[in-house]
Amino acid sequence: DALLAPHRSYRSRPTHGIGKFKYLLPKEPPKRRKERVQMKEISAGTEYQYGDINIQMTSYDLCLVEHFAQYVHRLCNRLSIRVNESYAMPTKTNEVLFLEERGSKMQLDAVLTTHQRVVQIRGLSSTFAPILLEIIQSNQPEGVHLLMKQHTEADFKSRLKSRPELEELLAEMS
Amino acid sequence: SAAARRPWKLFGAMCLLRLPRITQPLEKEEEEVAALMEQIELEKSLYSDHEMRKLEEEEQLKRKMESLYDEDEAHGKTVIMAQDLEEKWEQKFLQFKAAPRITDADKSNDRTSLNRKLDSNLMLLVKQKIGNQELWLLPQVEWQPGETLRSTAERAMATFLGDHIQAKVLGNAPYGIYKYKFPRAIRTENNVGAKVFFFKAFLQSSDLSQAELKADHLWVTKKELGDYLKSEYLKKVNRFLLD
Repeated sequence: DALLAPHRSYRSRPTHGIGKFKYLLPKEPPKRRKERVQMKEISAGTEYQYGDINIQMTSYDLCLVEHFAQYVHRLCNRLSIRVNESYAMPTKTNEVLFLEERGSKMQLDAVLTTHQRVVQIRGLSSTFAPILLEIIQSNQPEGVHLLMKQHTEADFKSRLKSRPELEELLAEMS
Repeated sequence: SAAARRPWKLFGAMCLLRLPRITQPLEKEEEEVAALMEQIELEKSLYSDHEMRKLEEEEQLKRKMESLYDEDEAHGKTVIMAQDLEEKWEQKFLQFKAAPRITDADKSNDRTSLNRKLDSNLMLLVKQKIGNQELWLLPQVEWQPGETLRSTAERAMATFLGDHIQAKVLGNAPYGIYKYKFPRAIRTENNVGAKVFFFKAFLQSSDLSQAELKADHLWVTKKELGDYLKSEYLKKVNRFLLD
């Protein structure tokens, strides 16, 4: 009879709740919304290992930058270098206005968008770092600027949005 | 220090690379794929703002020709038409001249200039006297006790190119090693042979006018290395060169 009835089993029927399984799984802690900020590791000694390193690629051309970021990410995967994160910074738009002053004043506009992609790497040994740098540099496409630097808190904060109301309240309190 | 002196002499050599300035030309398959992808993208793409504007204005023009429809529509808007903008941009583009990819030095095959072969790595080769022979080598200088091998290599670079070079040395570890034994005549107990450690550096600026060039020097690509270096030396050097 339960087979012929519609798929929903009523509460009075003995087959109620027949497919439940979540009560069997171990309880997970509830997810927090805030992210953990710092995970730094700089170990000095005979075996040098760099801490978090950011490889930042900027360009005007979106496809180039994205493909290059993908290439770098896959390269690190193949070379078994641990990649923490690979994210994009917000794009900046620049408006270029030409003011030609011969004859009639004209304004030609050009809108340029600057895109930036960041690949974050951890655990780069210092014997391998120059080789990696050379490989990436020799495979750079045209028009892409490359920048490798260590990850700082300022870099992390630049990704977060500022909250003016919170800052006002804090200023009022103190 | 009365430690037993090792029988090997140590040299530090510097491989100075000038990075390519232009991308290499695409292979045949790469060009075909690129053309195919472009065509696919073009067929799949939608009209952009500029193109929509152009189409609308063309329609307006047509309507103007056929009937007197222009009174209400857009008296202030069509001062600059999209077609005019396009023509202006085309003219600007024609005025722009890109720098030539094959420079004069390429044509004359002048190997001492840095402007050759803008799409591949160039290395510095110097003529040095070792023993009795004058050989073409990567600039090398003997190691003095108490300094690191990397500073030996930097010193080698400085002796041949002067002090003010903007070169970035990659890392403290050597990239390659070449060891050879001296011929029987010169061999003594203390001097069995020599080991040369290679370091790599990137040339940052292409301006070498301040460099004092003391010996014959050449800037060579990887393929042309075979013309100048000896085969054993060449084998070891080729191991750490990327192309």
